[in-house]
Amino acid sequence: MDLTDLIITVVKTAVIYIGMIQVVPLMLIVERRGAALIQDRPGPNRVGPFGLFQPIADVIKMMMKEVIIPSQVNKALYLLGPSLVLLPASLVIAALPFGDFFSVFDKPYLLQVANIDVGILYVLAIGSLGIYGILFGGWASNNKFSLIGAMRATSQIISYEIPLGLAACSAVLWYGSFSLREMVVTQEGTLFGVIPNWGVFCQPLGFLLFFIAAFAETNRLPFDLPETEAELVAGFHTEYGPMDFGTFFMAEYMNMATMSGLMVAMYFGGWHLPWIADATLLQWLGSRNILAILQVVTVVTKMACFMVVYVWVRWTIPRFRFDQLMRLAWKNLIPLGLFNIVLTAVILYLKGAA
Amino acid sequence: MREILFVIFSIFTIAAASGVLLSKSPVYSAFSLILSFFGLAGLYLLWGSTFMAMIQILIYTGAIVVLFVFVVMLLNLDTEKENSPNLLFWGISAGSVWVLSLILLRVLTRSIPSQLPVVPIDQLRTISKLLFTRYLWPFEVLSLFLLVMIVAIFAITRTGEIPVGGEKS
Amino acid sequence: MNFSISITYWSHFVVISMFALGLLGFLLRKNAIVVLMSIELMLNAVNLLLIETSMRTNTPEGIILVVFVITVAAAEVAVGLGIVLNLYRLKGTVKLDHFRNLQG
Repeated sequence: MDLTDLIITVVKTAVIYIGMIQVVPLMLIVERRGAALIQDRPGPNRVGPFGLFQPIADVIKMMMKEVIIPSQVNKALYLLGPSLVLLPASLVIAALPFGDFFSVFDKPYLLQVANIDVGILYVLAIGSLGIYGILFGGWASNNKFSLIGAMRATSQIISYEIPLGLAACSAVLWYGSFSLREMVVTQEGTLFGVIPNWGVFCQPLGFLLFFIAAFAETNRLPFDLPETEAELVAGFHTEYGPMDFGTFFMAEYMNMATMSGLMVAMYFGGWHLPWIADATLLQWLGSRNILAILQVVTVVTKMACFMVVYVWVRWTIPRFRFDQLMRLAWKNLIPLGLFNIVLTAVILYLKGAA
Repeated sequence: MREILFVIFSIFTIAAASGVLLSKSPVYSAFSLILSFFGLAGLYLLWGSTFMAMIQILIYTGAIVVLFVFVVMLLNLDTEKENSPNLLFWGISAGSVWVLSLILLRVLTRSIPSQLPVVPIDQLRTISKLLFTRYLWPFEVLSLFLLVMIVAIFAITRTGEIPVGGEKS
Repeated sequence: MNFSISITYWSHFVVISMFALGLLGFLLRKNAIVVLMSIELMLNAVNLLLIETSMRTNTPEGIILVVFVITVAAAEVAVGLGIVLNLYRLKGTVKLDHFRNLQG
């Protein structure tokens, strides 16, 4: 690895990471205006044109507030909590593929921070660590509501990790690889010449399971039992001050973005445009780097669609009760996930025999 | 570089593992356990087994230690402090146990030469093929074992207050 | 790729120390949950040894054994914690000193 490689890798990582952080302010305004749209009210439209500067105002408000550390908390773990949530959420981004590759001085560089050969395992493994921040933060707050919120978060996330893992299992079976990049590469072309060869058409049940479990993993409505404001004040972050709460908030949005990126890579063809092969596009555009930009735009657009779906679902479907949530996971999603694995295996066997 | 990383991860792992023993509160024990498993995952990576490192994080830190922390917090055991240990007794025990482990390791690895060239293999494919061919029966027995364990856990932890027909839906 | 002998020694040092720490905790600590954690430490020491040997001698059997060990460990922890919960229900504590009914 020479100096050019090093510089390009560092710049690439920085650009991807900073780009992903921008999800947070963007989603702040999208969520608030989206909520207003669905509830038929104007929403925040005072700050700047169409209220576009509202996130800046929100952040300034959070930064300016006094930081209060309650006296009854376990200080070390209380302060560690928010960063323990944000850290895994940021780490997971490394495995997401944003495009094929770009070339500098005729040397290809992947549009991905790290092409890990067990990428999907990496995402699931690091993603499952976010729970510790919630658990330790909720417990250290020394507040019954926080503790109940943390307990709920734990049982919910542990339960929904199983359908998530099962869906990922059948995807791995289907693509024959653990690497997210390989998965996207396999999805090029069309199925029977009509529909795009995307995971969502090959693995519809798997996608459904993954989609539902992704909502539960990110603690979003209809599965936001850990922070139900009607019963638990604010759940696990009841005792937290302004910017600590802001950190939890950031982590939630970044988790949503990662989950969207994962769904795009696994089920929605990643950087592929439907019905158009990469080689054809390259011929039209003439340059590898322009194609790379187009691919990034494709991936980001697909991810943005998922983020809007997140907001849409949040204001459409009412919250589950806790026993309903558990029943959904253990009695419906897990059997379906196991069935999906068997189905995928049988189809692959028949395909191999034919 | 590799050697330095190895030493760093080794010391980190051992330090975190001693934290499990030495912390007074089970919550901090669990926290040290997480750190120690991370160190181990790093060691697996350095040995070249990415798959096992990820499995280590996914299952041990992502599921097993979560269960520990969950139970500790559910029972609120933090108030149960132990008496401060007798240092001499602990020291002697630590020494003898360490020597015992050393002897055990020497006996176990007697037949393995200490230095071998390693040809990188396509690990995942080899392992999965072997799991479903030569080691199919142990694998199936393991799944049966898991099923038995699930039933056992239900039998152990149910309080008896739930009516036979299950809870009302 | 050649692994130097010093790395092997370091690895064995970690294995021995972790196993010893686990055994020590298993024998000396009074809190049932910490005892269970110590068992995990011992299992992980063995896992490290298995993976190291497997990677050095190029035999996948070690890694397969580790997969089995991890599966059994997960089940063991779930059952162990279930038992600890029951003990807590029985006496309101998980200190092992309080459970000597079978001691003659």
